[in-house]
Amino acid sequence: MNAPYFKFGYFGDEISLIVAFAIGIGFGFFLERAGFGSGRKLAAQFYLYDMTVFKVMFTAIVTAMVGLFWLSVFGIVDLSLVYVSPTYLVPQVVGGLILGVGFVVGGYCPGTSCVGVATGKYDAMIYLLGIIAGIFVFGEMFPLLEGFYKSTAMDIVTLPELFGMSYGLLVFLVVVMALGGFAGAEWVEKKFRKGAAQ
Amino acid sequence: MKAIFSHLSFNQKLAIVAGVLGFLAIFAGSPYTSNTATMNVKELALLVEKEVDHVTVDELADWIIQGKADYRLMDLRNEKEFNEYHIPTAENIPVGSLIDAGLTRNEKIILYSEGGIHSAQAWFLLKAKQYKAVYMLRDGLAEWKDRILFPSLAENASAEEKAAFEKRKAVSMFFGGSPQTGTGRAQATPQLAMPKLEMPAGSAAPAGTAKKKKKEGC
Amino acid sequence: MTTLAKTVSPEDVAAQSVAKADRKAQPYWNPYLAGVGLGLVLLAAFVIMGRGLGASGAFTSLVSVGVNAVAPEHAQSNTFFSEYLGDATHHPLKDWLVFEVIGVIVGGFISGSLAHRIKGTVEKGPRISTRGRMVFALLGGILMGFGAKLARGCTSGQALTGGALLGVGSWAFMLAVFAGGYAVAYFFRRQWT
Repeated sequence: MNAPYFKFGYFGDEISLIVAFAIGIGFGFFLERAGFGSGRKLAAQFYLYDMTVFKVMFTAIVTAMVGLFWLSVFGIVDLSLVYVSPTYLVPQVVGGLILGVGFVVGGYCPGTSCVGVATGKYDAMIYLLGIIAGIFVFGEMFPLLEGFYKSTAMDIVTLPELFGMSYGLLVFLVVVMALGGFAGAEWVEKKFRKGAAQ
Repeated sequence: MKAIFSHLSFNQKLAIVAGVLGFLAIFAGSPYTSNTATMNVKELALLVEKEVDHVTVDELADWIIQGKADYRLMDLRNEKEFNEYHIPTAENIPVGSLIDAGLTRNEKIILYSEGGIHSAQAWFLLKAKQYKAVYMLRDGLAEWKDRILFPSLAENASAEEKAAFEKRKAVSMFFGGSPQTGTGRAQATPQLAMPKLEMPAGSAAPAGTAKKKKKEGC
Repeated sequence: MTTLAKTVSPEDVAAQSVAKADRKAQPYWNPYLAGVGLGLVLLAAFVIMGRGLGASGAFTSLVSVGVNAVAPEHAQSNTFFSEYLGDATHHPLKDWLVFEVIGVIVGGFISGSLAHRIKGTVEKGPRISTRGRMVFALLGGILMGFGAKLARGCTSGQALTGGALLGVGSWAFMLAVFAGGYAVAYFFRRQWT
């Protein structure tokens, strides 16, 4: 039991920035491999003829979740030291809705827009400026929004705690949901591809 | 069996691996580590022998005066005692909640209690939980009072001792203490008032705000 | 790499039509394979750092530094910006997420150049002008930036990372993203299809 390595003090802040850069390269590489440098491919998720976003995202979630679960069970990772962001239910749902609209309108999310910029998409560059403007607006409005931003605080809470299930059972349910979702996604793609290909 | 597996597409193989690992997860137990710990007894014994696990009150006083902020000072006493007096920059964490306090393992942690016993016990708890840089304040708050807040000079002190005392006096005044000269300590103790809980000028920010934990989220 | 080529399914060859403009561009990977790769990167972040991935946080640091450069007093008095500026013990851009996002750009470029997919284009459907697309890109970015901050994270920090850690807020956020997207997709169909 000695992971997460950073939190056990195996290296300091300076090295952690190099790790950040290396992990970022991996992140950007696989995003681009999946086709997430293309706003059109990303937006296609919402028109059902290309479900790549769903497939990649849930495969990644299942891989990381199952991997982390087993590494923790075998005592290699101390799961309690992995940072889980606290839940603020209503602001997160409202933020998610706004973000979803922004996704369809703009065609990217913050991470994928970086890949879009790296692969020469001009709209991704404009989109990135938009993100910066949006964050600036949010920051300027923060005194007004602060009350709502901090409302419905539930602290750090996970689904197994919420439903009173064992962590392992929830991992299994997510896997089953994802596999069912993938089968559904393949079916939906076949159904809608003809209509959209024009 | 093997033949069937090789006939499957890549995606189907992935799905089977995920399904099996997910199914077995139901029976694997909790991923959170239990509250038991293992320790390298020999290694800890050597640390104790070498006395590298201590910080003296003089060192700590120097750090506070210089405004050094690379450590976290933990007061292990109860809340009431903490509110009556604590060493500037200290945070109050009773021993019972130490392990759940979310301390990161690469921080320099200095423990103190009234004497030396609680901090020594807490030191072992943290060491067993793989915390790297844990130190005890030697002889605890009692020593802090003796040497920093209310230092005293014996009447028959040598010239060297007197010179050293002058230095210590300045440190004591900084923390709002009252140096004693020419009297035995036992005699003076009843009149000694603990300093008010105001931060000495020029030192690090008050506890809690000094090292605001940076958020790790997006 | 040869084994990877074998795993490319017919769907991906079809998906290549999106990038048809450049004939040399290689097809995208099988999405499940790319997903496993992405998941392993995320897992590496958990194991090495004890934290997940992110993106919008890096832009927030950038915005905070910008505001601080123009109006330092204003930035310091704003609790949102000042949190990202930190306590002056280190430069606010010497931040984990900032370095990670620089890595994302480099990684995207490496992958794009290996697959001959780097090309100055505007991503849009055939029924919208480039100018119209640019206006929508800017608007979408503003909504994304605002929403990501309200939700305390974006698709990388909340949906992906929080999803793998089974955070309640992250899963609620993820459902809301899809709900918001599908709810308005019809009205923006001219842009993409």
